[in-house]
Amino acid sequence: MVNLTINDKQVTAPKDCTIYEAAKLNGIKIPILCHDKKLKPFGACRMCLVEVEQMKGRQIPSCTTPATEGMIIRTDTPEIIKARKLVLELLLLNHPLDCPVCDKGGDCDLQNLTYDYQVDSNRFVDSKFQHEIDYNNPLIERDMNRCVLCGKCVRICDEIVAFGALTFIDRGIETKIGCDFEKPLDCEFCGSCVSVCPVGALLARPFKHKARFWALTNHNSVCGYCGTGCNLTLGVKDNKVLTTVYNENQGFHKGQLCVRGRFGYQFINSENRLTTPLIRKNGRLTEATWDEALEIVATRLKGGNSVAALATPRLANEELTLFKKMMLDNIGSKNFDNSAGYAHAALTEGFVRSFGSAASSASILDIQKSDLLLVVKTDTYETHPVIGFEINMGVKNKGIKLNILSDKRGKLSKLPGANTQVHIPGAEVAVLNALCNSIIDQKLADDSAVSLPGYPELVKALAGFTPETVAATSGITAESINKLAADYASAEKALILFPTGLGYAGHTADLATAVANLAILTGKFGKEGCGVLCLSEKNNSQGAVDMGFYPREGGMNALQILDACTSGTVKTLLVAGENPLTSYPDNAKVKAALDAVEFLIVSDLFLTETAELADIVLPACSFAEKEGTYTSTDRRVQYVKPAINKIGKSKSDFEIISSLIAKMGGTPPVTPAVQFAEISANTPGYESMTYATLGNEGAFAPVSINPVFVVPVAAQITAAQGKLALVTGSVLYHNGTLSQHGEGPVHVCPDAYVEMSRADAISSSINDNDLVTVSSSSGSLQLKAKVSLRIPEGVVFIPYHFPAAPVNKIWSGSAVTMVSLSK
Amino acid sequence: MSDVAAQQVEEQEPEVDLAKADVVIDKYIDLPGNLMPVLQGIQDTYGYVPRKVADYVAERLNVYPSQIYGVLTFYAQFHLKPRGRFIIRVCVGTACHVQGAQRIKETFYNLLHIKHTETSADLRYTFEEVACLGACGMAPLAMVNDDTYGKMTVQKVDEIVAKYSAIPLD
Repeated sequence: MVNLTINDKQVTAPKDCTIYEAAKLNGIKIPILCHDKKLKPFGACRMCLVEVEQMKGRQIPSCTTPATEGMIIRTDTPEIIKARKLVLELLLLNHPLDCPVCDKGGDCDLQNLTYDYQVDSNRFVDSKFQHEIDYNNPLIERDMNRCVLCGKCVRICDEIVAFGALTFIDRGIETKIGCDFEKPLDCEFCGSCVSVCPVGALLARPFKHKARFWALTNHNSVCGYCGTGCNLTLGVKDNKVLTTVYNENQGFHKGQLCVRGRFGYQFINSENRLTTPLIRKNGRLTEATWDEALEIVATRLKGGNSVAALATPRLANEELTLFKKMMLDNIGSKNFDNSAGYAHAALTEGFVRSFGSAASSASILDIQKSDLLLVVKTDTYETHPVIGFEINMGVKNKGIKLNILSDKRGKLSKLPGANTQVHIPGAEVAVLNALCNSIIDQKLADDSAVSLPGYPELVKALAGFTPETVAATSGITAESINKLAADYASAEKALILFPTGLGYAGHTADLATAVANLAILTGKFGKEGCGVLCLSEKNNSQGAVDMGFYPREGGMNALQILDACTSGTVKTLLVAGENPLTSYPDNAKVKAALDAVEFLIVSDLFLTETAELADIVLPACSFAEKEGTYTSTDRRVQYVKPAINKIGKSKSDFEIISSLIAKMGGTPPVTPAVQFAEISANTPGYESMTYATLGNEGAFAPVSINPVFVVPVAAQITAAQGKLALVTGSVLYHNGTLSQHGEGPVHVCPDAYVEMSRADAISSSINDNDLVTVSSSSGSLQLKAKVSLRIPEGVVFIPYHFPAAPVNKIWSGSAVTMVSLSK
Repeated sequence: MSDVAAQQVEEQEPEVDLAKADVVIDKYIDLPGNLMPVLQGIQDTYGYVPRKVADYVAERLNVYPSQIYGVLTFYAQFHLKPRGRFIIRVCVGTACHVQGAQRIKETFYNLLHIKHTETSADLRYTFEEVACLGACGMAPLAMVNDDTYGKMTVQKVDEIVAKYSAIPLD
C-alpha cells in the first residue's frame, strides 16, 4: 500500500495502481474518456490530467502515472479545469453536435463531460469530419465522425477479444479508426467495441432509435445461451427486451459478452413466439385454451412406463426437479433425459467414474490462475467465446502456456505462443492415452498416483499406446506427444478444457476419463489453477445433471426413448424445449420415432420442426420471463428474476408442470422458491443455498473428488479410400438451435456450410460458396462450400444448428463420419 | 463471411507472386519486432505493398491484418498502390520555388500527364513534389530514383524524360 494526498485528503491505495485508480478507489472522480478497467492504460484523451506537487506542478495524465508513496495530488485546480475545457473544446470542434438523434444521448461520456464542464462555446473554428458511415453489417454501425480516438475499441478487440478487427488508420489530424484496407467491418460481432465506446461512434444497430437510454429499465439476468453463465443486464421498455446494457462491474467477465449474449436476445420478443396452446384437430394444429390442452395432456400422461420425456437443459433447476418429480411420482416413469444423452455423458458417466462426481473439478476462474492450459479442440472458442476471452487474457497478460489438441485449427491457435497439434479426427482418446503413457515413461507422474485405485490396470492398458504407435495413427509425432506430456506434467499448475454438446459426439465418457487420467496421474486436480473443465453446452446443462434429470436406475436415455417410440413401447412423449429433429443424430430415425409415437406433446417458445409434428403444443416462456436458478458449467448457481411479463398466454415450464401435477391429483409447490428449498436440501453442493444468499453474484456448489483411474476405450477409426472425415460442431455465432431466433447470430451466420481445406477443394474443383453435395452412408445434404486454411486435408466440418440444413441427415451420431463431396 | 466481405474480395488487384514475399519473411521470421523490416523488404521487392501480400504477411507473422494496415498508413514510406519504375521528385521548397520550380513541375506534367503522387499507366513514372531535397545550392532540383539533377531547366526536363523513357521496362 502507498500513502497519498489527493485534494488535501490522506488516502491509501494498492502499490501497483495508477493515480486515476487510486483516486477512484477513494471516491474521487477524475473525468476520463479512454479508460476501461479491463484494458491497459493508454493515455489518449488527456481529460484525466492532474497536478502532482513533486512533479513541479506539471499537468500529468493520471491514468498512466503510477501512484507512488507520498505523492501530493490535486485533481481540480483552476489550471486543470481550464486544460480540460480546452480538451473538450478541441474534441467538440470536429465532433458533430447531433445529440438529439444520437442513440448515445444520455449515456455519452463526451456529452456528460461537456455538461459538467459547461463548455457552451468554442473559441476555434474548423469543419466537421466527412467520414462515410459504415452501415454494411446489421449489428454494428460505425460513424467515425463522432469518434474521439480514445482507442478503446481497438484495444478491447485486441486485448480481450483477440480478433483485431480495428486499428488506427493514417496519422495526425487525419487519423481515424477502421479495418484493414478500410473495408467494412466483418468480424465476430461480439459488440465489445460498442460496449466500451464513450461516444456514439459505435452503436448497436438492432437497438437504433428503439428507445432513449434513460427510458430503459435495467434488469440483471444470466445469459440463456451457453454454459459459461455470463451475467447480463437487459434493457427493457414496454415489456420488450430492447438491448443488453454494458456494466463493467457485472460478473467474473466484467460485462464482457459474445455475439450471442450481446445481440442474440431478440428471440425473447420474437414475433414467432407461440402465444397460445395448440391442439391437433383434423390433422391441423388449432388454437385452444390452456384448460382444454392441459386436461388432455394430463389424461395422456397417466400411462406409467409408456410415458417418456425429453427436456432441454435450458430449463431452470426448479423446473427440471419438478419435471423429474412429476415423472417419477405422478406418472411413474423413469424414462426421461436431457439433450441427446451422449451430450452430457462426459459428466454423468466419465467424471462419475473418474472423480466420483458428475461435475467439473475446476472453475472458469482457474483459467487465469493456471500456468498451462491443455485445450481439447479449438472449438472451445466457438462454443464458449467468453471462456475464450479468459484464455486469451491469460495467455497474453500472464504468459500462460497454451497447448491445443484438435482436429482442426481455430482462433485459439492464433494466440501468441499457442502450440496446436492437429490430429486425425477421432484420435483424441488415443493421443491422451499416449500422453499418460509418456508421462509414466518419463517418470513425471505424481507420487500419489501409484497408490490410487486402477493404477496397475491403467499402466497395463496404456502399453498399447506408446507415443510411437499412436503417432502412426493420430498424425501427431511421437516427439510432439512426449513434449506435450512433459510440458503438462512439469507445469506447476495445469488445466484441461474440452467442450461438450450435441455437435460433439466424440466427446464421450471415454474422452472425459482419458483427460481425467492425465490430471490424476500428475496430481493436477483439486488445486487452484488445476483440474479438468468440461464445458457444458447449454445455460443449465450442468444444472440438469446436478438435478438428476437423466436416466438412472433402469430408465431409458434419449436415444433409447426414440427407439422405443418407434417400437411402440413409448406411447406418449413429452418434449420440453428440445428440437430432436434438427439437433439429434440421424434425422430419419428421429422422424420415424416422432411419427410413430401415439401422442406427442411439445412445450416450446417456438413452433419448431419437432413441434409441428405434435398433437399438442404448449407455449412456454423464456428465461427473461421467469424466476429460477441456473447452474453454469463450473457449478456457479445463479438466480434470475423475470425482466418482463410473459408473452401472450405463454407459461413457464414450472407453471405448466405444476398445473399438470395438480390435474393428476398431486400437490405442486407454490413457488419456485419452495422448489429451490427442496433442491438445496437434496442436492450435494447446494446445501444452505437460498435465493437470498445467491444474490447477484451467485454461489459455487463445491465438488467433492475421489480420484480413480479408469481405462478409456479409444475409438477405432477406419479411414475409407477417397472419403473425407466429417466432424460436426458449433459455429461461433450459434448455440443449440435457439440462436436461430436471435437476430444477431442469424444475420452474421445465416446458413450452414461445409468447411474444407484448400487442397481438398482443389482436388474436387470446388470454389468458395459453391453448392456442394455431401454424402454419407445415411444420406446426403446440399451445402455451401467454405474453403479455409484452418481445416487439415481429408477433413470437413459442418455446424449442426440449422434446421434448413440438418447435418443429422448425413450424421448418425458417430464421432467421425466418412463422407464424399460432389459438385 | 458476410456478402459485403465477399464482394470486397472480388475487387482484387492483379495476381502477385507470394513466393517473393516468402523470401523476405523467411529472412526476418525469428527477429523480434520484425514487422517493419518485413514490410520494408516487401516494398523493396514489389515496389509497393500489395493488399494480398499484406494479408499474407499477416498470416505468416500472426499479426492482425488491421495492425499491418495501421503501420502501412502511419508511415509515409509505405505505398499501397503500384509505383512507377522511376520516381521523379521535384523540389518545391523555398529555394527551388524562387528559382522556378513551378515551371519544372509544369513541364513534367505536360510531358507525362501525372500530378503529385500519381503514377503513369505504364508504371514507368511516379511523380512527387517534395518540400526540400537538402541541396538548395543546386536549385531548382529534381531527382529520378537516386540520381540528382541540379540547376534544372525546361530543356533538361525534356532530356531527362527522353533518357528514362528509353530504358526498357522489364
